[in-house]
Amino acid sequence: MKNVRKYFSFSIRDLLAALLILVIASAVCFVLRMIDENASYAPMIFILAVFLISEKTSGYLFGIVSSFAGVLLVNFIFTYPYLKFNFTLSGYPVTIICMLAVSFATSTLTTKLKLQENIKLEAQREKTRSNLLRAVSHDLRTPLTSILGASSAMIENDEYITKEERISLLKSMKEDSQWLISMVENLLSVTRIDSETAAKITKQPELAEEIASDSVAKFKKRFPDANVSVSVPDEMLLIPMDAILIEQVIVNLLENAAIHAIGATMIKFTVTAGDKCAVFTVSDNGAGIADDVLPKILDGYFCSRSENRSDAKRNMGIGLSVCRTIVSAHNGEMSAENLSGGGACFRFTLPF
Amino acid sequence: MGNKYTILIAEDENSISSIMQMVFKANNYNVQIASSGSQAMMMISSYCPDLVILDLGLPDMDGVEIIRSVREWTSIPIIVVSARTHERDKVEALDLGADDYITKPFGTAELLARVRTELRHKNSFSSNSPQMQHGVLSIGKMVIDYDKRHVYVDGRDANLTQNEYKIVSLLAKYAGKVLTYDFIIKNIWGPNMKCDNQILRVNMANIRRKLEDNPGEPVYIFTEIGVGYRMAEFTGVNNEKSL
Repeated sequence: MKNVRKYFSFSIRDLLAALLILVIASAVCFVLRMIDENASYAPMIFILAVFLISEKTSGYLFGIVSSFAGVLLVNFIFTYPYLKFNFTLSGYPVTIICMLAVSFATSTLTTKLKLQENIKLEAQREKTRSNLLRAVSHDLRTPLTSILGASSAMIENDEYITKEERISLLKSMKEDSQWLISMVENLLSVTRIDSETAAKITKQPELAEEIASDSVAKFKKRFPDANVSVSVPDEMLLIPMDAILIEQVIVNLLENAAIHAIGATMIKFTVTAGDKCAVFTVSDNGAGIADDVLPKILDGYFCSRSENRSDAKRNMGIGLSVCRTIVSAHNGEMSAENLSGGGACFRFTLPF
Repeated sequence: MGNKYTILIAEDENSISSIMQMVFKANNYNVQIASSGSQAMMMISSYCPDLVILDLGLPDMDGVEIIRSVREWTSIPIIVVSARTHERDKVEALDLGADDYITKPFGTAELLARVRTELRHKNSFSSNSPQMQHGVLSIGKMVIDYDKRHVYVDGRDANLTQNEYKIVSLLAKYAGKVLTYDFIIKNIWGPNMKCDNQILRVNMANIRRKLEDNPGEPVYIFTEIGVGYRMAEFTGVNNEKSL
C-alpha cells in the first residue's frame, strides 16, 4: 500500500509543473503550425513534454495522466480533422503506446535516481559519523592512557614519589580529565544534532551579550588565567539559536585558542551585527595556522600529531568539525583564516 | 565555630559521593550519605541536616518528586546536582523550591562556594524578618541604597527605572544564588504575569548597560542561559581548596 502511495503521490507543485509543460508544448505546436501545416511533429513534441513531466514530477501519476492528455491534445487540436476526436487514424495506437512507454520508462528511471541519491546521502552521513567516531575514540585513548599510567604509578610507587612529582602527576590527570569532559560534551552535541535532523534544532531568540558572557564564564572555569577580552554590540541583538549548542561552539573556539595558539598572549572574542546575520569572531595573537593545515582545518579529522610532531597537542579537528556541524545546522557559515598581523581567526555567522 | 553544619549527600555514584564527603570533611562539615531517593527522604526527616545536595538522577525516585515532597514540610536548603542530559529537570527543580544547582562535572571550589552561600542565606533569613532590605548594600563598586531606592556605580547614580531597581534589589537579596526567570517575573510583575521572559530580558539588557562597564564581561549580574540570573557575591574571604 505504501509503495502504491509513493508511486502515485500527488502534490500541487507537481500538478502545476505538469500543466505548465503541457501548455508550453501546445503553444510550441501552435507556433509551428503557423509556419508549417504538416502536423507530424506534434506527437514528437508531446513525447518530449511527457518525458519532461515524468522527469520533473515524482512518481508515475503525472507521467501517465499527461501521456493520455498529450495523446488527446494531439488528436483533438493538432491532427486533421482539427478540434475533433478521430481515433481511426493510422498509426494512432503506436503513438499512444509510445507515449505511455516513454512516460513509464522515464518515471521509473527518475524514481530510481532519486532513491539512489538518498542512499548516497545516507552513506555519506554514515561515513562522516564513523570517521568522527574513529577520530574520537583515538583521541580518547591518549588521555585515558595517561590517567591510567599516572594513577597506577602513584599507587604502585607510593614511597618513592616525592610530593612535587605527585602534584605534577595529579595536575596532568586533572588536565586530561578536563579535556575528556570537553570531548564528551562535543559528542553529546553531535548526537543532539544527528538524532534530530538539522531542521529540527529548537531555536529560541537569545541575547548576544548573554550568550557571550555565559560562554566566556564557562571557558574561564577551565582556564581561569586566560586573557580574554569580550566585546558585544551596543544595541540588543536577538539571535535565534539553540543556546547550548552555540555556547558549545564558542567554548570550543576559545579553548582551541587557549590550547593550540602557540605564543598567544591574548584572545579576542567579539560579536557584531552584520547585514542579515550576527558575526562571532574568536581571534588570538599567536603563531597562526600552518598553511598546509589551514584549508582543511574545518573539515575535522586531520591529525596534527601524525604529520610531524609526535608530541603535538591534541587533535583540534574534532572540536572544530563539531563547531561547523552546529553552525551549519543553524544555517550559518564558518571560516578560518590567519590575520595579517599574526594570529589565527575563527569566524562564524548566525542568520537573524 | 563550635557547631559543625551537617550536609546530606544524596548521590548514587559511590566515587562521587566519597569525593564530596572527603572535601566537606576537610572543610569542617559533618557529612551523611544517602545512595537512593527513599533513603534520602528518610534521612532528611530523621536527621534534619542543614543542607541537602541532591543528584537529580537517582535510580529509584525522580529528584523533582523528592523536592516536591520535602518542600511540603521544610525549607531546608537543597542544592541540585544535574548532568547535562537533565537540562529541563534543573529548571523545574529550581521552580519547585530547590535553592541552587550545580552541573556535573563540577569543581570542588564551586561546590563549596554554593554550600557556603546557601548556609549564609539560611541563617540570615531565619534570624531576620522578611523586611530586611534597608540601609545600604555595597557589592564591589556598586552601592544599593534601599532607603532612597537608588543604585550607584562608582558614585554615579545608575538611573534605574522602578522595575529595574526592583530586579536589582531582588537579585541582591539573594546574591550568590541563581534566580529563575519564573521566580523573578512572579516577584516583579506579580503572580498573574504570564511567564514570558522576553520582557525580563529587555529589562536585564538595560540594567546591564547601566551597571556594567562591559555587558559582554559582566561583574555584577551573570546570566545562566536557560535558567535565570545570578548576582555576584563579594564576600572578601576567598580561600577555597580545589581538588
